[in-house]
Amino acid sequence: MSQAVLPAAPAPVALLGRTTTRVVGVAAVIVGIVVFKVTRQQNVPSWLDLHVQRHAQSVYHWIVQNTGRNWFLDAIKSIGNGITWCQKRGLTFLRLLHWTGVVALTFVIGYLRAGWRTATIAAASMFAIGLCGFWDLTMVTLSIMIVAVAFAMLIGVPLGIWSGLSESAERRLRPLLDTAQVMPAYVYLIPCVAFFGIGVPAAIVATLVYAVPPAVRLTSLGLRQVPVVSTEVGMSFGSTGPQLLRKVQLPLARRSVLLGLNQVIMMAFGLVVIASQIGTGDVGVRVLAGLQKLDANLAFSAGFCIVFAAIALDRITTGERSLKPGRPMPKWMADRRALWAAGLAVVVVAALSAKVLSVQQYPSWRVGIGSWAKSVIDWLDKHARHGVPLIGGTDSFNTFLVRDILIPFRSMLQSAAWWLVVGVVTLIGWVSKGWRLALLCALAFTGIAAMHNWDLAMDTLSQVLIAVIISVCLAVPIGVWSGRSRWLETALRPFLDTAQVLPQFVYLVPVVFLFRVGPTPGMIAAVIYALPPGIRLVSLGLKEVPLAPREAAISFGATPRQELIKVQLPLAFKSIMLGINQVILMVLATVIIAGLIGGGALGLEALGGFTKPNIKMGDGVAAGVSIVLLAMVLDRLTQAWGNRSDQEDRPT
Amino acid sequence: MRTRIRTSVRFAATAIAVALVAVSCGSSGKASNATTAPAGTKGPATGAVGTNPAAAGSGAGIKLAVNAWTGSAVNANVAKIVLESKLGTPTTLVALDENAAWVGLDAGSLDANLEIWPSGHAADYQNYITDKKSVVDLGLLGPQAKIGWYVPSFVIDQHPTLATWEGFKDPTLAKLFATANTGAKGQFLMGDPSYVTYDEQIIKNLNLPLQFVVAGSEAALITAIQQAETDKTPLLLQFWQPHWLQSKVKLTEVKLPAVTDACLASAKAADGKYACDYAPDPLYKAANAGLEAKNKKAFDFLKKFQLTTDQQNTIAATIDSDKMDPAAAAQKWVDANPDVVTAWLA
Repeated sequence: MSQAVLPAAPAPVALLGRTTTRVVGVAAVIVGIVVFKVTRQQNVPSWLDLHVQRHAQSVYHWIVQNTGRNWFLDAIKSIGNGITWCQKRGLTFLRLLHWTGVVALTFVIGYLRAGWRTATIAAASMFAIGLCGFWDLTMVTLSIMIVAVAFAMLIGVPLGIWSGLSESAERRLRPLLDTAQVMPAYVYLIPCVAFFGIGVPAAIVATLVYAVPPAVRLTSLGLRQVPVVSTEVGMSFGSTGPQLLRKVQLPLARRSVLLGLNQVIMMAFGLVVIASQIGTGDVGVRVLAGLQKLDANLAFSAGFCIVFAAIALDRITTGERSLKPGRPMPKWMADRRALWAAGLAVVVVAALSAKVLSVQQYPSWRVGIGSWAKSVIDWLDKHARHGVPLIGGTDSFNTFLVRDILIPFRSMLQSAAWWLVVGVVTLIGWVSKGWRLALLCALAFTGIAAMHNWDLAMDTLSQVLIAVIISVCLAVPIGVWSGRSRWLETALRPFLDTAQVLPQFVYLVPVVFLFRVGPTPGMIAAVIYALPPGIRLVSLGLKEVPLAPREAAISFGATPRQELIKVQLPLAFKSIMLGINQVILMVLATVIIAGLIGGGALGLEALGGFTKPNIKMGDGVAAGVSIVLLAMVLDRLTQAWGNRSDQEDRPT
Repeated sequence: MRTRIRTSVRFAATAIAVALVAVSCGSSGKASNATTAPAGTKGPATGAVGTNPAAAGSGAGIKLAVNAWTGSAVNANVAKIVLESKLGTPTTLVALDENAAWVGLDAGSLDANLEIWPSGHAADYQNYITDKKSVVDLGLLGPQAKIGWYVPSFVIDQHPTLATWEGFKDPTLAKLFATANTGAKGQFLMGDPSYVTYDEQIIKNLNLPLQFVVAGSEAALITAIQQAETDKTPLLLQFWQPHWLQSKVKLTEVKLPAVTDACLASAKAADGKYACDYAPDPLYKAANAGLEAKNKKAFDFLKKFQLTTDQQNTIAATIDSDKMDPAAAAQKWVDANPDVVTAWLA
């Protein structure tokens, strides 16, 4: 969630000393077990119920009864019209260019911003959209995405600057950003439709809610990481605040802002299929149709159109020319404007040539990505479910996971008295970072109790923790390996990219087929989604360990294994913890998807806000709030663990 | 040097601007075709997207909802053809979720939805048609839908007593439907949580050893059916007629206690005592309240528009089984049935 690295307050653990900690820990566990055995499950008392369900429901009812009759709601609607206008212009422009022009434009932008390699990859991705079969529908998606990403940056960067320059702004924005990022889109989709109208405007607004946070966070992080020296040099030359920002801080924060743009694009594309349910008429509709008809071929073909569009847009916007030191920029490249003009000319020629050669429509060349995917799935379906030597197959794995792990764990959480769970989480918070975090944990879990869906929240928590454990068990070893092996990293990259951008809806059906309707497919989908950031951050952490301590260890005769375990891993601990933190948030983001395939719990409840808005909007909102609170606690706890080790490692 | 670059840039920019205008003028006539043609050939379930330029100007354009199932695409595509060819009303089809469609009908960003299943939308009917009067009821579409309890037919072959609900009273038979998640009880599976359900009440009030499980989506439900059919494992679920899967997988409806007045009364009172079969669902149409003023001819036609179950099934089969594009399938049927179309316009 937040990459902000705050100076960690000394944890109580550090103050108490090792032995005392152990005694306190053991005592706490014993007391906990005794209390757990003595007390029974207790319903959350009614005085604690905040009646969020009822209030949210009546607010929604008011909106329903008053749209079209209330100047305020109508004023909001006109924003929607403005957004639609932008998107329509964008789409007209893309159609004007024809497919040739769009591919050429991708190449030109990619080349001028980042060079041959990026340009070729981006243009090839764009070209591949047509090979998957849905060029025109994907252009609709692309126009929506371009507008959404542009607005997200327009909103996110100024907010990020504000929060990067002011500590209090960051504190105020942080809970809002957390909420926007973790609140399931299904909860606010129908209200968006009620406010902004069906189709494109509501889809773009919903996408904005989800995609703005990374822009804010990474801009702010970038500004905070500008070395103090640079700022002070600027000030000593007498720069004013705005000058300092424009000439020193923002240019130095450029990389971070670009990373923010990359994340905005990934997030925005993550919402394409969900948004297509409110009438955007784009390629997401085809993914849903494939899902509805169990047509894996269709779902994957359309899904890969989205993947290629995301990759193309990402590469040309976030790529940066990396000039080899010592090799000066060729002279002819120094004049940027002439180059851009030449590039534009190329695009126009490409667009015109489509017309002249009368190939305005994308030709009927096709590559059967969908049918490859389908045959892989069919094979898995035939061979992976039963009779795999040693492990038995996905069916028996499913039974084992649900019957022997999930159900016992879940019933333990559910049968404990609610205040006991609150107490334990508070204690964990206190041990991890002190009373501030303890207070936050206590408030958040009491808040969940006040949402009046305690059992469902415990069900979700158990599923999330199990999915996190599976993901971490996979991500850390793979990440470590790929951090030490260049070829594995290269080999993994396309898979990780795809897993991150491929709409989860695409693999819902195969996952359900392999693991049956129930909690397991949701957990597996969560693992697939959470692995890429986990693996990436772990491997990044290993690679960033300075060479000096590693070489020192080797010169003292450490074996490669010793060097890994004793030097590289401890030094990479912080990055690994950040990876685990991201894994947790990704897993929580898939809770809603799990609700679609039998995971039940809060995901299904939140889905109610979309599927039965007139009856269940309130339940949906309450479930959404519970998910956000769960995410906040898990996020702050893992961050605290990451920072704490930092403190302990520091020589005293 | 500096000025020379400036001039060349300016020259290039002008050239590009001129060229772009040329391209745009050249293709403006084709632009609207470009929206329809590729969509038609690739066959999205929505049929053609976009408006028919030929009919523009003769009647305000309207937007029809297309929901996620084939029947909905059938109605909308047939209506679109008649609206455009006979009434000169350019018609856009909008593919969207059935709940979002109500919000669209309310705001007027959608003009009509031609197939609404009453059982799932009682609250919407109350909110928008009865209370707010922003949406009007356009009368029945024709077909009657029916929700019920289903098992794959091979289950009945093996255990004939399971053809009625009483068979499920036997815990050993009910246990055939158990999963890792439901333990000793049999699983009762429901699909999309937005569909109407009395299953939990029926199970409780008839005292059956079953556990109600929500799969979460129709896709998950269909996957479960397909899987049960491949593996020959028992499955008990809520399903309905008409549905495209009914012609592909053999499913048998489990007989539930007959619908009584008392039962319907408890459904209305929501007192939790529902213990009988589902009543048939007469599908209906609804329109934005402003449609009559906006385009009277279209409104009158949509009010009269009806398809029988057979007619809808015939067209749906050409789409689902013969893989025909919805727009083409509708056109084929309209061409073959001019009398029906004339009757709608009379």
